[in-house]
Amino acid sequence: MDLLSNLALGFSVASSLENLLFCLIGVLLGTLIGVLPGIGATATIAMLLPITFQLEPVSSLIMLAGIYYGAQYGGSTTAILINMPGESSSAVTAIDGYQMARQGRAGTALATAALGSFFAGSVATFLVAIFAPPLTAIALKFGAAEYFSLMVMGLVMSVALAHGSVLKALAMVVLGLLLGMVGTDVYTGAPRFTMGMTQFADGLNFVAVAVGVFGIAEILRNLEDEHDRQVMTRNITRLFPTREEFRQMIGPVLRGTGVGSVLGILPGGGAILASFASYTVEKKLSKHPEEFGKGALAGVAGPESANNAGAQTSFIPLLTLGIPANPVMALMIGAMIIQGIVPGPNVVSEQPALFWGIIASMWIGNLMLVVLNLPLIGLWVKLLTVPYYVLFPIIMAMCSIGVYSVNSNPYDLFAVAFFGLLGYVMSKLRCEPAPLLLGFVLGPLLEENLRRAMILSRGDPTTFVTRPISAGLLVLSLAVLVLVFLPQIRKRRDEVFTESDA
Amino acid sequence: MPTITRRILLGTALALGLAGAAAAEFPDRQITLVIPFAAGGSTDVVGRIVAERMGQELGQQIVVQNVGGAGGSLGAGQVAQADADGYTILMGTVATHALNPLILKQKPYDPVADFAPVSLLVLVPNVLAVNPELPVNTVQELIDLAKQEPLAYASSGNGTPLHLSGELFKSMAGIQIDHIPYKGSGPALTDVLGNQVPIIFDNLPSASGHISSGKLRALGVTTAERAPSFPDVPTIAETLPGYETYTWNALFAPAGTPPEAIEALSAAAQATMADPAVAARMAEFSATIVASGPEELAEHVKAEMAKWEPVVRDANVSLD
Repeated sequence: MDLLSNLALGFSVASSLENLLFCLIGVLLGTLIGVLPGIGATATIAMLLPITFQLEPVSSLIMLAGIYYGAQYGGSTTAILINMPGESSSAVTAIDGYQMARQGRAGTALATAALGSFFAGSVATFLVAIFAPPLTAIALKFGAAEYFSLMVMGLVMSVALAHGSVLKALAMVVLGLLLGMVGTDVYTGAPRFTMGMTQFADGLNFVAVAVGVFGIAEILRNLEDEHDRQVMTRNITRLFPTREEFRQMIGPVLRGTGVGSVLGILPGGGAILASFASYTVEKKLSKHPEEFGKGALAGVAGPESANNAGAQTSFIPLLTLGIPANPVMALMIGAMIIQGIVPGPNVVSEQPALFWGIIASMWIGNLMLVVLNLPLIGLWVKLLTVPYYVLFPIIMAMCSIGVYSVNSNPYDLFAVAFFGLLGYVMSKLRCEPAPLLLGFVLGPLLEENLRRAMILSRGDPTTFVTRPISAGLLVLSLAVLVLVFLPQIRKRRDEVFTESDA
Repeated sequence: MPTITRRILLGTALALGLAGAAAAEFPDRQITLVIPFAAGGSTDVVGRIVAERMGQELGQQIVVQNVGGAGGSLGAGQVAQADADGYTILMGTVATHALNPLILKQKPYDPVADFAPVSLLVLVPNVLAVNPELPVNTVQELIDLAKQEPLAYASSGNGTPLHLSGELFKSMAGIQIDHIPYKGSGPALTDVLGNQVPIIFDNLPSASGHISSGKLRALGVTTAERAPSFPDVPTIAETLPGYETYTWNALFAPAGTPPEAIEALSAAAQATMADPAVAARMAEFSATIVASGPEELAEHVKAEMAKWEPVVRDANVSLD
């Protein structure tokens, strides 16, 4: 068996004392920066790049990969405890995870996230090992038309993220789309909505918007009313999920892993959709859709598994094609080049020890993370007892440092302040921030791919339906729409979209 | 208060009778190297390798700061306005010091008047490559095909060196090919590898892995001479005499930086590039080492602006 001997090679590389140590350093650092709101994996890896000169290529890549998926673990901690997602993927976790924390189930939510992530990470690692080459071929079949249709599907699904009025959710999606337009038009170079400031030429920073509408807004809201928080800490009865909760977790975790693994492979935008898609799926399938948005366990288990699976499988295009699926992967390419490794399809055959070593280390790293994180849950939950006047200034300072470190752009801090206020106003109007963020992320991708597809087809719009994958995705989106608007099933729609007690 | 500290230090040096050694005092604290692009790209990699080694040469740490945005203009503009003391320097490129100033309607800085050149470090070739399913093997065959049927090429974005390399190619070959801009080389490469777009102009370092593995067919490099890393790939100039483009990386300080500081920086940069370990890394990268002095870089910037000015005008590229 080729696969077994390859995995054996990988584990022999990854389990050397030195590589185990770097893997541990990576996941520790990753967890730490993930827990500190705002400071992302991108900034950390960029700062550590020069240090990797001195290391063996395998060790340095193992460490950097550890930071990346470690940050995915840590990021959900802040999303659950203080409603402060550091990355797009944990924005979904914040919806139900934070509600669980407010009900005193923070420990359960954190354990669910950790266990779901571990399971998804392990499965996805083996998927990477087995399917990397054939899956890459699928990713390459995705052209502009296919991405456009994928984004359409994402937007259609986004309405399901709302647990208030559908109209308000649509309004938030549209506002998100508009915010996503800020910046330079890729095709003509025309600046849009930049108000003449070159600092906004590349658009609004995602971290700034997310930290603002979720985190800062939450702080402002909490300052109004301190009782909520006391409830949060007083009601903690146990840290670990019950047998019943474990049983509830299985389905969402399995489905999340599947959804995340598939979407993670697509370079550019696929991984972003993973957690959103999983949330939608869980809400549709749930017997109690009304619980979503109020602390549904499945709303944490599914998306957390999906984003971790996506984080692992997004290594597939990197390792087999040398193509980055996101900014962190672009940095990993930089790290490989610094080490004199030319990223590309040859890495697997020319550097088998490196390729399989990294894959094996991912599984070891996931194991380390779950071992590290489960005992830490008690500690994280204790953070909730830290008084406001200590915790909030610290959070604000960490956020500001983190957001600034992404681009060294002071305008990003103005954006945090602005979106913090906007988020506060939105919460007063009972508008959800999640659909806004999805619109913000998907809008630019939707537009870019729509126009690229149209240029490539020389102005022929049938390109979207004559290409089979694109047509399939559009039919699927249409099916979701029909399901929503067909009067016969209106009753079911009401269950899906509105709060039962609203 | 850095200025006061320096003055005190200088005063102490004078008092000790070391008057002549003032120039040797530079640098007495850490230096910031601004890289005007996001971390991970080729300019970033060159910058980080150079910063590490140059810091040892100068006896002070060089801290890399990525100030990405607006095609490099934000970072370059920041250095143009920084204190002219030699402690803030820029990793400039063909984009920041030739193309952007020609393309942008609002000029955030003047590439000649606002900067003191330090050293031209490396030249990096670009490459014209096609998906192997496109039935062409040479630059001439591509030109012939383009005259018969509509084609499109991918680049890393509007107004980038790669876009303009494509535009120069089109105008010299007398053909029309649609330009498909992407947000960076990565996504552009993906679509060419998947044959969504048949042709690409890319930096040689970023495309080299795919060329060696046969996933991309290199038709020609854009430099006047063949790249040492790919001796079998002809130059575009062998078909279109006079065609030459490349990406380059050079160090700049703000205008008005004391000549002693410029000299110290330039000497350190040249010593860095002479280090065999650095040279080996640059060679893996397909980059040709120049390691010039300040005057040569000043000439180079003028020559580049003169070369690109008509291309930018003919291609009708302009950004607000």
